[in-house]
Amino acid sequence: MKHSYLTAIILLGVILVIGIGSQMLGIRLYDRIATNLMISLVLVVGLQTFMGNSGLLSFAHIGFMGLGAYTSAVLTIPAQMKSMALPDLYGFMKVVEISPLFAMIAAGLVAALVAAVVAYPLMRLSDAAAVITSFALLVVLYTIMNNWSAFTNGPRTLFGLPKTTDMPIAAVLAAVVVVVALAFKESRTGTLLRASREDEVAAAALGTNIPHLRWRAFILAAFIAGIGGALWGHFITSFAPKAFYLKETFLIITMLVIGGANTVTGAVAGTILVTVAYEGLRGTEGALNATSFGAGQVIGLTEIVLALAMIAVMILKPGGIFPNREIGHILIRARRKKEIVAQ
Amino acid sequence: MSETRLVVNDVSVEFTGLRALDQVSLFVATGEIVGLIGPNGSGKTTLINAITGQVKLATGQITLGDTTLSGLSPREIALRGVSRSFQIARLFNTMTVMENVEVAALAKGASRAVASQSAKMLLGELGLTVKADELGESLSYGDKRRVEIARALAAEPRFLLLDEPAAGMNDAETETLLHILAELPKKSGLGLLIIDHDMGLIMRLCSRLHVLASGHTIAEGDAAHVRSHPAVIEAYLGKGAVNA
Repeated sequence: MKHSYLTAIILLGVILVIGIGSQMLGIRLYDRIATNLMISLVLVVGLQTFMGNSGLLSFAHIGFMGLGAYTSAVLTIPAQMKSMALPDLYGFMKVVEISPLFAMIAAGLVAALVAAVVAYPLMRLSDAAAVITSFALLVVLYTIMNNWSAFTNGPRTLFGLPKTTDMPIAAVLAAVVVVVALAFKESRTGTLLRASREDEVAAAALGTNIPHLRWRAFILAAFIAGIGGALWGHFITSFAPKAFYLKETFLIITMLVIGGANTVTGAVAGTILVTVAYEGLRGTEGALNATSFGAGQVIGLTEIVLALAMIAVMILKPGGIFPNREIGHILIRARRKKEIVAQ
Repeated sequence: MSETRLVVNDVSVEFTGLRALDQVSLFVATGEIVGLIGPNGSGKTTLINAITGQVKLATGQITLGDTTLSGLSPREIALRGVSRSFQIARLFNTMTVMENVEVAALAKGASRAVASQSAKMLLGELGLTVKADELGESLSYGDKRRVEIARALAAEPRFLLLDEPAAGMNDAETETLLHILAELPKKSGLGLLIIDHDMGLIMRLCSRLHVLASGHTIAEGDAAHVRSHPAVIEAYLGKGAVNA
């Protein structure tokens, strides 16, 4: 328990330093990158609550992010703009306009509710079957977002969300999600779920109800994804369903897997590392394209390098940078060992 | 505490044409230690798997007191008070030893505080306190087995089924284990069913033995009776050994 507090303090410290650092530099580009980083933290740490503890890879997370973003959009776009932004919206919804804070909570609840209904039968599946069905779920959610024009404006861009997300708000939410993830991991549900991740047969022989535990974690992850979606929606202010599909799914899974899915520390480290690499590579790509050297344009450098980095990490360190222990646990153990040696 | 019995009645188990167990009957009462022995492939582990619901029965039934266990899932059987260890230790590898043991108490519904307290106590009893913070995967064979036993006990079972608990232990460790196991029925009224190939351990520990060969019961009774039983000698040493 003690090491969980230390882990929380360190991870929150990192978020604080990045937040304050980006503000002090006062460069708008850095402010945007830092805000994106905080939003990614919400999503990746949210994914960790399910994937890390259950050991099941979930592709559906970004789909729930999309649900959250659209829910918040429908609830917050000003009434006079709605006839333009969402011309087909049902009549009674046209007058609804609530504060972004409540809309964000609603976004989380809608995502959690949908997750609770669709995931209940799915949580009996393990291994490859669980991964494939989560992918199918992403496809279903994406198709619905693309076609339920009344709510989403179809495949076209939806605009008009009030810009209420800034760096400090995103940082505060990221910090809250980190604490929730750490608490969930150490909770009774989290501990039993981790046992089932390690050995399903042995966990069942002790009397754990594995599908039910997974279901709870899946709902929590979807709730956080919904919140993350609303947060992102009010930062970017206009988006289309294609924002919630394969590219983003791959990105957050890369972040989590490189950092280490089993730990919250890993989720945070992976998000920071991949964000920095991503922005660096994008800058390089842009700089290369701006020069007159070479024959053509450099396209896809960012994606290819990230994919190679993922492969390299899987080969060299299959569990990610922080495979088993949280940072607080590592530090306390190291100190204890030093004390033993000193004696 | 009144005596309860875990009863295996006429149980058969089939794996695609192969009869792994053929009409086996035995019982374990609370407060006693029963040894389950027999050559490799005789169906010992299959019998434990049948009791804990990991394999389906072809015939027969299993009861604990008035409750029928056969047909229930492993989870439901565990919650009714039957714990087990596995022939090849199945620890939760990337969790600490402490967490490994806590899980068992949590699964039974204990609070976090109670689970942590009983885990600490059991680790102490089994001499694992110094390992509490190590990961399951980093332990030696002998330590893994002891963690598995601590974990099974943390569930506070009425019946404990141990599949080769002494495998991979050295003599000193086996001796310690023997004392711990011998105390269990007296202390908590637990019923114990033990599979092991260490005949010394089995003979000293068990009040009754049950011998399987090729899925059949070939002998049962106390140690002296079983040891001199012709069918047992034949099963272990081959035909001809009986008269030698």
